[in-house]
Amino acid sequence: MDLGSLHGKASMSRGRMTRRDFMQWALGAGLAVSGLSELSGKGSAAEAAAQPTVVVASAKKPAELVRAAVDALGGMGKFVKRGQRVLVKPNIGWARKPEHAATTNPEVVAEVVRLCKAAGAREIKVMDHSVDVPDALVLKMSGIKGPAEKAGARVIMASSAGLYERVSLRRAKALKSTDVLRDLGRADVFINVPIAKVHNATVLTLGCKNLMGAVLDRGAWHRSGLDQCIADFVTQFPPDLVILDAVRILLTNGPKGPGRTEDKRLVVAGTDPVAVDAYSASLFGRSAEKIGHLRLAHAMGAGEIDLSRIRVKNV
Amino acid sequence: MYKRLRAARRVSQLLFLAAFVLLFALATFPPKTRIPVDLFLRADPLIAMSAMVSLRKLIFPLVWYALPVVVLSLFLGRAFCGWICPMGTTIDLCERLFRIRGRRPSQAPPWRRVKFYVLIALVVTMLLPAAHRSAKEWALTDTVGVSAVYLMDPIALLTRTFTLVGLPVSQWGLGMTRDVVTEWSYARFVEDHPLLDRALAPIQTGLSMVTRDSAVYFRLGLLSFVVFAGIVAAGRYARRFWCRNLCPLGALLGVLGKVSPVKLAVSEKCTRCMRCVNECKVGAISEDPHEYSGPECIACYSCIAVCPENAVSLTARREHAGREDEVRLDRRRLLEAAGFGLATAALLKVDWGAARTQAGELALKVSSQRLLRPPGALGEDAFVTACVRCGECMKVCPTNALQPAFGEGGLESLGTPILVPRIGPCAQSCNQCGQVCPTRALEPFSVEEKAHLYLGTASIDRSTCIAWAAGKQCLVCDEACSYDAISQEVVEGVERPVVDDRICVGCGLCEWVCPVEPLGAIRVYSTGDKRHWTRDERRELREQAEQESTGVSPYPGL
Repeated sequence: MDLGSLHGKASMSRGRMTRRDFMQWALGAGLAVSGLSELSGKGSAAEAAAQPTVVVASAKKPAELVRAAVDALGGMGKFVKRGQRVLVKPNIGWARKPEHAATTNPEVVAEVVRLCKAAGAREIKVMDHSVDVPDALVLKMSGIKGPAEKAGARVIMASSAGLYERVSLRRAKALKSTDVLRDLGRADVFINVPIAKVHNATVLTLGCKNLMGAVLDRGAWHRSGLDQCIADFVTQFPPDLVILDAVRILLTNGPKGPGRTEDKRLVVAGTDPVAVDAYSASLFGRSAEKIGHLRLAHAMGAGEIDLSRIRVKNV
Repeated sequence: MYKRLRAARRVSQLLFLAAFVLLFALATFPPKTRIPVDLFLRADPLIAMSAMVSLRKLIFPLVWYALPVVVLSLFLGRAFCGWICPMGTTIDLCERLFRIRGRRPSQAPPWRRVKFYVLIALVVTMLLPAAHRSAKEWALTDTVGVSAVYLMDPIALLTRTFTLVGLPVSQWGLGMTRDVVTEWSYARFVEDHPLLDRALAPIQTGLSMVTRDSAVYFRLGLLSFVVFAGIVAAGRYARRFWCRNLCPLGALLGVLGKVSPVKLAVSEKCTRCMRCVNECKVGAISEDPHEYSGPECIACYSCIAVCPENAVSLTARREHAGREDEVRLDRRRLLEAAGFGLATAALLKVDWGAARTQAGELALKVSSQRLLRPPGALGEDAFVTACVRCGECMKVCPTNALQPAFGEGGLESLGTPILVPRIGPCAQSCNQCGQVCPTRALEPFSVEEKAHLYLGTASIDRSTCIAWAAGKQCLVCDEACSYDAISQEVVEGVERPVVDDRICVGCGLCEWVCPVEPLGAIRVYSTGDKRHWTRDERRELREQAEQESTGVSPYPGL
């Protein structure tokens, strides 16, 4: 991914800056960083000035929904270039079957992988750090492994510490440093593929909350303030693309279920993580403004929360 | 024609040991085979006898599995010891590998009686009633004996060593290897060479298949290792010291083999070169090679292989057989052994850790509020009696949650499995511990039944819970609960978790995920253990609680 726009001058001095470069750079002790936050602030402000687009694909089969939504955003080729590494982050958090709508729809994940493959990706990793254990069981129940691997991805349940690296979050207010997936730093493209569910602690769990599965120690987020940590993380590590699975959504007893579900047959996609969530909240009849972590993320400049400023494209 | 028997025996030993190791490795969740992975333990007649005698009931699955070894022994004596027993093979291999050479075998004949005394002592403990109780308690449980067979049964001992020592050590090594390979895969050098990258991927996949998600921990590993090492090291005194002197299973099979028609015969060609006497693994042959002890002979047939005159052979005709050197058991010693068994049982049962609470609910002991037994466990007395501490349940447990007890429940429950939720939760859709228990101390149960096999009850410590004490946004326990037993209560505008103790089964997932370090603010206690209820009663409680609760099925079609 190109963090250039986000980090202004810091990246210009090194040409194209990968996320890993950024991490190494952020870790570097001797670097003066005082003026940089201002610069990057300007970067994201400039980005926000352009009205963010959220694509809503409906009334098709799950894989077709994904294709339609990505096409409407300009096709996967716009995000994934030939020879790039892609990290796909679905929700494989619970030992539940797809029909319980607690984990991302396997067909959605597989189609994302297929599109990346078709765009010429050199490596596609599907990774999540599940809450439930054991990993093998969670993965088996989710039904994601088979289809995603067939589509050309490596599916990795990330519970071993060797897959993470310590990173300082410069702009964070609560989550100053944490162990994040190394692949998040290594991948050229980061695609978030959450499922839409209600959540007992954060009202809803959509795209931003799904990023919590990219760190080793989730407990720290609870201890230091969940909403702020989610906002901190999405501000620091915005996905390049969010493809939200609302094929079937969980309405009660989330995030794990089992609960009441509803077949929405939708996929919501976009590049602004907050805007995608803001629109998706409306699927539950909720206002994004009432969801703490989205409000905070918006305030930190991670994206647009006001639906009137978001262009919604139905396909 | 008999010369090849030794080679055949060695092949058989290696094959059975390989089968033992393979079955041990296959004890996993999700299961990889339909063969019972505890096959060797099930086939062990001593374990079967112990379970049935001490539980006072006929358990047919145990009878069927143990029958082949019994029949084998009736015909061929202790052939099991020489050809099949993985402990015997392990000892043979270690003696060879570490060049452990026993002294002349005939120097320690009186010792060999010890194994019979051990057997007698064990049988006495099995026959004794477990505890004297008040009338109220008596009604709550079956009368059972005490079993100490776990201390001496070779198959249980070896399986336990594999679990408590072999598994964590091998996983430690595998885990480090995986981490090193992971490290390589992220190296710039590898990234820049797609070929290397592609070569590492299958290695990583392979490693992830055999390596657990996280490191495996057990306590008592060192103790278990010392016992095992002692058994091997005793070979310095005499080869297969364990088999010839201590093993109660060997004693039992030797007694069964008294009726065996197949005997060793020594012809007149014998020149008394004494090679067979020196080669005999268990010192069964006397100074006069024409005389040997039937209950000692493990049918290894080394005597046949080493005889330069081909004077040793097998015969089914009594008149041709070699003279038998009888093992004469001293009556006084037998009484002493019985007394020793009695004392063992008594001391295990009067250890204060075994003391019950006044509630009379037999699961509850004053020594630990955390005596959480795996689902399917028998009542506490029967469980402690039937469990042979083989560790299969701990091996198969996918989350490393099952640990050998050490203090919880007193001396009598040393090494029995308890759930330690902070290490791992009891995974909702796993029922493997009930599948691999050779004695049915853990009775088989279905995944659906788990919803009412209460192990205990979770309880929230409101003084440390970050939602209750600090008003923070945290309902991880509620998020994670597989059974929807936790709900939210809004106090001063903040949602805080509360537990419905009739729905909570004590799986410990909440305790495991709780972000309060190090021990969690929600903990499972044995208060809710309902093993003194029948399964039907437990199911009814569950159904009733559910109707009054959310109305969402706890059985999400797993």
